[in-house]
Amino acid sequence: MDFFIDSFASALLLVLSLDPEMISIVGVSIRVSISSTLIAGLFGVPMGFVIAFGEWPGKPMVITILNTLLALPTVVIGLFVYAFISRRGIFGPFDLLYTQGAIVLGQVILIIPVVTAFTVAAISRIDERYRRTAMTLGANRIQTAWVVFREARFGIMAAIVAAFGRVISEVGISMMLGGNIKGFTRTMTTAMALEYDKGSFTLAVALGIILLGLSFGMNLLFHFFQGRSRI
Amino acid sequence: MMIYELTELTKIYDNRTVLDLPCLAIEENRIYALLGPNGAGKTTLLNILGFLDAPTSGAMQYRSRPVGFTEKTLQALRRKVVVVHQHPILFTTSVFKNLEFGLKIRKISPQNRTRIIEEALDMVGMRNFASARAHRLSGGETQRVALARALALSPEVFLCDEPTASVDAENQAIIINLLRQINVEKKISIVFTTHDRTQAAGIAHQTLVLDHGKLVRAGYENIFSAVIDQDCRGKCVYTLSPNVSLFVGTQGAKPKDRRIRISIDPNKIKFCPETRQESGNNFLQGTIRQVMSENGYIRVLIDSGIWVTVMISPGEYRQHGFLVGDTVQYTIPPEAIHTTV
Repeated sequence: MDFFIDSFASALLLVLSLDPEMISIVGVSIRVSISSTLIAGLFGVPMGFVIAFGEWPGKPMVITILNTLLALPTVVIGLFVYAFISRRGIFGPFDLLYTQGAIVLGQVILIIPVVTAFTVAAISRIDERYRRTAMTLGANRIQTAWVVFREARFGIMAAIVAAFGRVISEVGISMMLGGNIKGFTRTMTTAMALEYDKGSFTLAVALGIILLGLSFGMNLLFHFFQGRSRI
Repeated sequence: MMIYELTELTKIYDNRTVLDLPCLAIEENRIYALLGPNGAGKTTLLNILGFLDAPTSGAMQYRSRPVGFTEKTLQALRRKVVVVHQHPILFTTSVFKNLEFGLKIRKISPQNRTRIIEEALDMVGMRNFASARAHRLSGGETQRVALARALALSPEVFLCDEPTASVDAENQAIIINLLRQINVEKKISIVFTTHDRTQAAGIAHQTLVLDHGKLVRAGYENIFSAVIDQDCRGKCVYTLSPNVSLFVGTQGAKPKDRRIRISIDPNKIKFCPETRQESGNNFLQGTIRQVMSENGYIRVLIDSGIWVTVMISPGEYRQHGFLVGDTVQYTIPPEAIHTTV
């Protein structure tokens, strides 16, 4: 117990002292997570909108596949992307492996289903009367779609926040595609795994505290947007 | 001039015909009330008239021009006609922006937009609510803002689905007066659905009655579900409730136990001075619940286990001298009973 209390106290000191190594790791984590979330949002939100708004055969099957992909293990994505970007892979010449770009690529694949499925849910929850009201007020298809999008905005924001929460805490993709290179691809989760392996807990616990704080903040945001979406 | 002309129009959902109108014409600058029980097809007809839904078959003309049910044509027509739904929904923004939506789409200049919005809110008595959050309004206020939002667009036709169904008495009066006012002042044609026959008769120039998707004789009231049965002498009767059966004469054999809908012409029901037990003449007894003057007639609402409306002349009313709460006897002749479906 003393060991834990000592580690926790040292970690708190480390956090409060804004240790440069810790800050660098947190910076890499936040940078790649924001990048992957934005890219996934750019693709996932329109995809979700098209799936939810359109009526076409096979739509239930696509939604089922999307929901299945929500449980995609990070190591499977890591392995899959590795096969493409390693020296022997078809994207080998781009030298992506063990770069932040590789982590972003893997994370985008991880959270596109999250953003899309949550967007589908957010749009589907919007009352049909909004669409019909916009139509009777003279809106064309694009203007009607915009009305529905506006009404679903908080639900879509919640989808983005949930996706960010997913990537900031994942470890498999960052480890397999980033390689945990100090100052370059070392993220909070990979650094914690490394420190654990080394038996040095102070930095790991300090990063854990920051990660928990970030997750807590993300959850607060998520619930805020979810609450607003039920207005 | 006719604003709508519908010919052989049907709407079918899941192999069920919800609307079947051989012919319907709606005249310009008039108020039409669309009456009928739940599921009669009122809202379906309103959505077709509002160009929100296409009929399954049949032809429709708007201002003598055939309506082609392509998205492009419908979109242009939707800018002339506005539907206000039974439970209208306001966009989750301010009241002002709700009213601004349709005007922006029509590319009205910002100065004109503000003026039009203020006028429309004035008409419904909601001027002070312009900056209020729309989703925080009460049911009656929401209904009034929805009417103002439609009104701001100066449509040629106003289609209201049960505009007073879910509002209190004060808001009902405001909405009814508003419908009258916009019809008279702005020459807007109005079609509204309602269950309230009194309200329909009070403001509409013409009442249309729908039942099971079909137009039944306009003006007819007293629509009931009935089961075809036989009395002790083997004659055909319609059973409306355990205590109310109506003899309908010997007009052809009808399959027993079949459920039908009937209407009873309120003008053909006659009051009788004393009770007689001749089942062939359909003598009923009941308590008067409401008496009101309407379009030169006196409407008497009687509770006989079923609610029956009787229309009599003022002279006949004076002769009987009925009061609310009196017990009365009346007779429903077989020729007053019509099968609607």
